[in-house]
Amino acid sequence: MWLLSWRDLQYRRRRFAIAVAATGLVFAIALLLSGVSSSFTTEIDRTVAAFTADRWIIPDSAKGPFSNAKAFSPNEVVDSVKGAKQVDAMVMNRVVFRSRDVVVFGTEIGGIGPRATTGRDVRRSGEAVVDASLGKAVGDDLTLGGTRFRVVGTTTGRTIFAGSPTAVISIDDARAIGFASQPLATSLLVRGVPHEVPTGYRTITNATAIDDLARPLQQATGTINFLRVLLWLIAVGIIGSIVYLTVLEQTRDFAVLKATGVTGRSIFRGLVVEAVIVAVAAAAVATLLALVIGPLMPLSVEISTGTYVALPVIAALAGVMSSLVGLRRALGVDPALAFG
Amino acid sequence: MLNISDLTIEYSSGGYIVRPISGLDLRADAGHLVLLLGASGSGKTSLLSVIAGLLTPASGSVRVGDTEVVGLSGSALTHHRRHGVGVVFQAFNLVPSLTAAENVQVPLRAAGWRSRDARDRAAELIARVDLEDRANHRPADLSGGQQQRVAIARALAHDPPVLLADEPTAHLDYLQVESVIRLLRDLADAGRLVIVATHDDRLKPLSDEVVDLTPGAEASEHAPARHELGSGDVLFVEGDRGDRVFVVESGTIELTRNRDDGTEELLTTVSDGGYFGELAPMLGLLRSATARAVGDVVVIGYSLRDFRDHVQPSSAGALLSESADAADA
Repeated sequence: MWLLSWRDLQYRRRRFAIAVAATGLVFAIALLLSGVSSSFTTEIDRTVAAFTADRWIIPDSAKGPFSNAKAFSPNEVVDSVKGAKQVDAMVMNRVVFRSRDVVVFGTEIGGIGPRATTGRDVRRSGEAVVDASLGKAVGDDLTLGGTRFRVVGTTTGRTIFAGSPTAVISIDDARAIGFASQPLATSLLVRGVPHEVPTGYRTITNATAIDDLARPLQQATGTINFLRVLLWLIAVGIIGSIVYLTVLEQTRDFAVLKATGVTGRSIFRGLVVEAVIVAVAAAAVATLLALVIGPLMPLSVEISTGTYVALPVIAALAGVMSSLVGLRRALGVDPALAFG
Repeated sequence: MLNISDLTIEYSSGGYIVRPISGLDLRADAGHLVLLLGASGSGKTSLLSVIAGLLTPASGSVRVGDTEVVGLSGSALTHHRRHGVGVVFQAFNLVPSLTAAENVQVPLRAAGWRSRDARDRAAELIARVDLEDRANHRPADLSGGQQQRVAIARALAHDPPVLLADEPTAHLDYLQVESVIRLLRDLADAGRLVIVATHDDRLKPLSDEVVDLTPGAEASEHAPARHELGSGDVLFVEGDRGDRVFVVESGTIELTRNRDDGTEELLTTVSDGGYFGELAPMLGLLRSATARAVGDVVVIGYSLRDFRDHVQPSSAGALLSESADAADA
């Protein structure tokens, strides 16, 4: 009975258009939140992978190389590490650039560490490779932690802590900014898998490093996921309300249809079709809105193709669920009402 | 074609059991136009609902052709609604979002007809009711008569042997009435049984048979009758037809009404010199209460005319006024 569903959608087009717009907006917000949540994860993965380290060595007292890094003297430690192919010191500083937190990684020149995706890597003191989200291009100058740098290379999408851009400078410059040029490090980057490290230090994998970066964002991610669930429920509620109103208005019609031999199952199928059409149309609207609004968001929004593909499927399921609200009422309509 | 025997219809209303039809027998043949006449509440629509398989009666049998309608369920009931009867509703009841032709297609599509076949059949039926030029209009753009003709076309979708029409002239002006009635007459002449429920007795000349469902329509002029009742004896039962008014000579009569939870509600009692049961014969209603003796009772049953002579009310209005203090049975 596609005919009934399609004609009803046309007949009540204004109401359904409002439902599509409202549900589309809710879906769009859910989609954007998913994108924000997703960006938290992907930025961490990208940034940790950019170091191209196999293992990290940190003091036992540190939770990880990023979230609460502890400074230590690296020289003795490096010499005591057994089984690694290469061990380089790294210093992490947090500085402020134009009211934005910037995470600065100081690495050995030519050693293990993030590489530039455009331009070139740092070759000497006073040079920096910065993430494009900082708004600087190759050849620009910028001041980090009171020291002036020339941008020689850039990266894309290398942010941590929910969008804070990263910069790579020489380890000496980083020590000058953070430790008054003392020969300290906050972690060691390792190629190969060490089988022995000095007492008071431990080896961690990239996965542990990723967990370390994700920890400060756990509450934010949990809140976002909770809001996403609420938004899905709101969307189901909007569609369900529209379908239920339609059922209320069509009580007499359903009675007449039943009296003329239309089964309750056919009527229910029609309601499901209407709800699914509204939900999928709302998903389309949401996709457009997310594509337009996403780049305008202050936080990074990374919505995967899979999410865009899954949205109409999830929306269709939401449509089916919401139509269940009207199911009982539609099936319970007494055909004798047609005479009333 | 249609054979109804000992049919009793009951339903719940306002907490009470209402029995508009009690023990009805009716037989009607194909090719006839049968009028069900009666005032509001006389059970015309309930009877149509039972024949259409939309309402289950309290008891009795309804056969349409070889099919016993009472007790049908599931696919057999759906089959009866599709193929056994066609129904034309009082308020047309077309689906507002569909065009005239689409309204006719719906029962066909629901029965699994292919889209093209359903369209062709709908076009044929729309032509049959002379609405080719309005086929693609929605009900809101059609006059009452045109909507009623679309409703008739819809009812004929599966070419049922029985067509039921509930007050088909209720919302129509006289020009529209003529075309609709002529159409129903033609359908009957073509070999179909057409049953029309109406309170419009102007349709009588066009019918082959008239069934008057008005209770008390057969007003009696019987002589007064004396009834001696023992304790618990029932004089009449709620839902019965009534052509007598009763005056209590001695003893007490209690009047009760059945509630839909199976209990009885005592409405009032009538003792020596009081009367009850006057409204049923006077207004053509069914008995709305059961009269039962409390102890030994003697009552006299009067025809309405004799009762007027007996109590000498100045007018029917006075009689009603007096009866307000007595039972309204």
